[in-house]
Amino acid sequence: MMLLEIRNLRIAFRVDRHTTVEAVKGISFSVPHNATVALVGESGSGKSVSAMAVMGLLDPAAAIIDPDSRIIFDGSAVRGKDIAMIFQEPMSSLNPVFTIGAQIAEVLKLHMGMRSAQARRRTLELLEEVGIPDPAQRIDAYPSQLSGGQQQRVMIAMAIACEPRLLIADEPTTALDVTIQKQILQLIAELQQRRGMSVLFITHDLDLAAEIADHVVVMCKGEVREAGPAKQVLTTPTDDYTRALLDCRAALATRRRAPLPASASEAPPLLEVRQLRKTFLLRDGWLRRRTFHALENVSFTLARGQTLGVVGESGSGKTTLGLTLLRLHQASGGSVLFEGRDLLAMPVREFQAYKRRMQIIFQNPYASLNPRFTVGDILLEPLRIHRIGTDDRERMAMAHSLLEKVGLPASATARYPHEFSGGQRQRIAIARCLTLRPEILVCDESVSALDVSVQAQVLNLLQDLQDELGLSYIFISHDLSVVRHMADQVMVMRHGAVVELAGTEALYGDPQHPYTRALLAAMPHHG
Amino acid sequence: MLAYTVRRLWQMLPTMLGVVLLVFVLFNWVGGDPAYLLAGKMADAGSIANIRRQLGVDQPYYVQLWIFIKQIVTFDFGLSWATGEPVSQVMATRLGPSLAVLLPLTLMETLLGVALALALASVRGTLTDRLVMLACTVAMSVSILVYIIVFQYGLAYRLGWFPVQGWGGPQYVVLPVLIGLAVSLAPTLRLYRSFVLDEAGQDYVRTARAKGLGERRVMWVHVLRNAAIPIVTQVMSNLPALLIGAFLLERFFGIPGIGREVILAVERSDFPVIKAVTVYVAAATMVFNLLTDLLYQAIDPRVKLA
Amino acid sequence: MRAWRRLCADRVAMVALALLAAFLLLAALSAAGLVAADWEDEVGVSYAPPLFAGAMAASSVSSAAPAQALPDNPFDPLADDIRALRAQLASATATTGVARRATLPLGGDKWGHDVLKKTIKGGETSIVVGLVAALLAVAIGTVFGALSGYCGGVVDDFFNWFYSIFTAIPSVLMILAVAAVLQQKGVLTIVLILGLTGWTAPFRLIRAEYIKHKAREYVLAADAIGASHWRRMFHHILPNVSHVALVQLSILAVGFIKAEVILTFLGFGVPVGVVSWGSMLNEAQGELLLGRWWQLAAAATAMALLVTAFSLFTDALRDALDPKVKP
Repeated sequence: MMLLEIRNLRIAFRVDRHTTVEAVKGISFSVPHNATVALVGESGSGKSVSAMAVMGLLDPAAAIIDPDSRIIFDGSAVRGKDIAMIFQEPMSSLNPVFTIGAQIAEVLKLHMGMRSAQARRRTLELLEEVGIPDPAQRIDAYPSQLSGGQQQRVMIAMAIACEPRLLIADEPTTALDVTIQKQILQLIAELQQRRGMSVLFITHDLDLAAEIADHVVVMCKGEVREAGPAKQVLTTPTDDYTRALLDCRAALATRRRAPLPASASEAPPLLEVRQLRKTFLLRDGWLRRRTFHALENVSFTLARGQTLGVVGESGSGKTTLGLTLLRLHQASGGSVLFEGRDLLAMPVREFQAYKRRMQIIFQNPYASLNPRFTVGDILLEPLRIHRIGTDDRERMAMAHSLLEKVGLPASATARYPHEFSGGQRQRIAIARCLTLRPEILVCDESVSALDVSVQAQVLNLLQDLQDELGLSYIFISHDLSVVRHMADQVMVMRHGAVVELAGTEALYGDPQHPYTRALLAAMPHHG
Repeated sequence: MLAYTVRRLWQMLPTMLGVVLLVFVLFNWVGGDPAYLLAGKMADAGSIANIRRQLGVDQPYYVQLWIFIKQIVTFDFGLSWATGEPVSQVMATRLGPSLAVLLPLTLMETLLGVALALALASVRGTLTDRLVMLACTVAMSVSILVYIIVFQYGLAYRLGWFPVQGWGGPQYVVLPVLIGLAVSLAPTLRLYRSFVLDEAGQDYVRTARAKGLGERRVMWVHVLRNAAIPIVTQVMSNLPALLIGAFLLERFFGIPGIGREVILAVERSDFPVIKAVTVYVAAATMVFNLLTDLLYQAIDPRVKLA
Repeated sequence: MRAWRRLCADRVAMVALALLAAFLLLAALSAAGLVAADWEDEVGVSYAPPLFAGAMAASSVSSAAPAQALPDNPFDPLADDIRALRAQLASATATTGVARRATLPLGGDKWGHDVLKKTIKGGETSIVVGLVAALLAVAIGTVFGALSGYCGGVVDDFFNWFYSIFTAIPSVLMILAVAAVLQQKGVLTIVLILGLTGWTAPFRLIRAEYIKHKAREYVLAADAIGASHWRRMFHHILPNVSHVALVQLSILAVGFIKAEVILTFLGFGVPVGVVSWGSMLNEAQGELLLGRWWQLAAAATAMALLVTAFSLFTDALRDALDPKVKP
């Protein structure tokens, strides 16, 4: 007897008065007792929608569940008591105006009929169980006073308070740092074991699924492609889609580019950064200022045709590094030598010429293209500003050839960014950079917001371009697997300072610094 | 908290100075020579010069400005040009009647607005919701003048339920407050509804439902407590403006409040009264904004004392 | 544009737009003198009732008909003069030839002016004042807001200081104070008053938008490819922000139309020779006591229709242009 059985679940969303779009197209899977099931899929696969349907949280006005669908739960299915759910963004999922103690107690009072004093005691026990340090103090804290990891622990405490038999976790670790991710995953696994409850874990990360799940269900575009025991699905997949997903991740385990010949490393470096510093002065009211050291004495070199990977968690300063190198932020100290000339010391007019030679691709493909410009305008803009080409017709021809190079049709020039997917938008952003024929490209988390399959395509494109045009990359990412795949050298950053800088194989094979080791240990491993 | 308050009071000074300057430029420079206005139609040069000296407008501008600043600080604006009553007394006596209408009106409008907004939010998207919103839009498009004229004529004059005009006891407050409520309910409801809907779309509401809480509790406890933040701050910061805002009600009903006083002063070009009211209402607005911010920090745990 | 398509799909918005367009057309025709230019002609009898209430009111009108001849008073020192004047009046009406009408389409006011024509002309006044003042306020607010939001620093501090002064004084008070000071009345005066005091709302919103967009990656990208500050401000950011200005224009226009009516009612608005719904309402107050309700009804209904249509259209416009709605 399965704990949860879903048969032929069909959900359609009402777009406007006349049209509906099918998000889930008749899926079936089941969750056994006392097991962890991973529901894996990329964005738009319908995994979150299915989970919301199980919980009964879909808005009946917007989502129509087909009457032939069956969601069968073994035993009583009181929402919040027998089935509980935790969400992706813990900060916004907790009510900001109530203390965490009050929010947890609320659920105890409602479902278990506890009185205030009793509920408070139980809340303290729960906070202890989920690993909140100093529960007696924290119980009266507000969510905004806790860190992201702690907030998620509170969410978990709230969910398990009434001893549910099924816990649905919708991407609970995606918004958290790698090291915290590992802790939360461990916590959920412990709780699952100790309480004998089942966990339905929704994620897009196959490596994660491999680590924690007993069973795996793979979804794509509203359909179940494959389901079965984890080991079986992940080592010997039968479905094409599953195979493709696994291949993408596997490709990252090996480096595509051969290590450089010795002669290349003797040439003078293209870019040399010395003691780069960036301090932010935050206004703390009328007269006071708080200083925040985003970058502290960062130094490295970059040779022509090379890729430097920059890794670190959020707050490490890696994004600030990219922006400061291009003078999009004003540095507080240090020098950036490009072919021997210090870019930071140059007057603005002189720097304008160098702007062409260093470009940047941002993380968010939805925000880096002007929503009101057509793709043609976006590509022509840099050409117009720097007066490249004699007239617009010539420039448009250049734009077309660049689009072709990044794998997009020439007809794209008449369309708007919102008509393209995330991966396509990143290609447009790459094409925009290429209009100026730069020598150095800063890739600031450029593939982090993309689905796994799309990531692989964009990474391949970047490497092809590097081979063809001899570009140098500064590849910034928090994803250690991707960096390993792309970079010749890797620099690890933490709190604005460089913790370790070494060749890729050396760093991944034999990390020196304890922080680097912790980072690598937290990486989910394949298989 | 204290340091923050002090800092904010300090920050108010440039704005206050700006207001004083603006009022001064407006009335002493653009407004021109009031002597002709006050002297009447058949005045000779002598009496005009006399008036000028009395008012101090024959002095150079910077002296006049200094006099103005002194007046503000000592709460003494001299005498009203029209009635000869000391301006400070004018302001002091008119404040009471204004508040007597304002306070009940604000209270009832807020409570009614919140209750209706929550009720509407539970039927959002349905025909009822849309019809009510349409009714609000139509209600808001009818000029307040029409409301006053019609209600005053209908309920007071024809039906005799309320006194038509005047001031003397609680019965004189009822009709103005009723009309004020009728006029302000629609915009208030629209605004509060938008606050409530903004909150109802947040993630924590989804969590509350996932916890198994009933819809009633989700709206009236979770959403309301969050929506209360913008609602309370909006009511607080609007209070000084309402002092003047009720001027039409006061004029029609003969209520001796500040709004009516301002209208009379404008009609009679009674500059001292207008200047005094402007400066003090501006000061009250700034103080109330500070109070609102302090209150905001007290009711919203996300905000830290900056 | 997809926003336009969204707007067209909204049926309520289309009806509102049609109504609005009708009003604007009437206003334009009236401004050009093609319609209601002769509103000042006294074509009806005093307090002529509207057509549809003709029969009922005709009786009361006739009861207010010119007085019967009074018996002569031998002690009246002015008796001879009055007799002469009466004879003159009688001959005057005989020669003008055009008899005064007993009923008019929407009724007549005290002097016999056609209320329908007054309503149209009044609409022209209110719409012109509302739109032009709104345009002025939004133009000022947008420029100030753009400079303030984009440049930051001292420029921002200055504009914020300016803004705090204007918002410390309630707008009603501000308008009345300026009205008290500017002795000459006129349509231009009131447009200036409303426009120069109403820029604060657009300023705050546009400034917030510029601050938000300035940090967006597409603006950083524009910087990276070498766009100058001016280019970024007006070529890159402004198209993303213009919808806010457009909605503000609509909102302010509605507010200013209502404000003009109130100001004219109080006597601080347009001068006596220009008709406005406010002046109509002013007259209506006294008329109501005499049982004459049609001028009130005409002005109130016309204004309610216009403002409702405009408000509904504004709401729909905001929904259609709001980027929050993901395509």
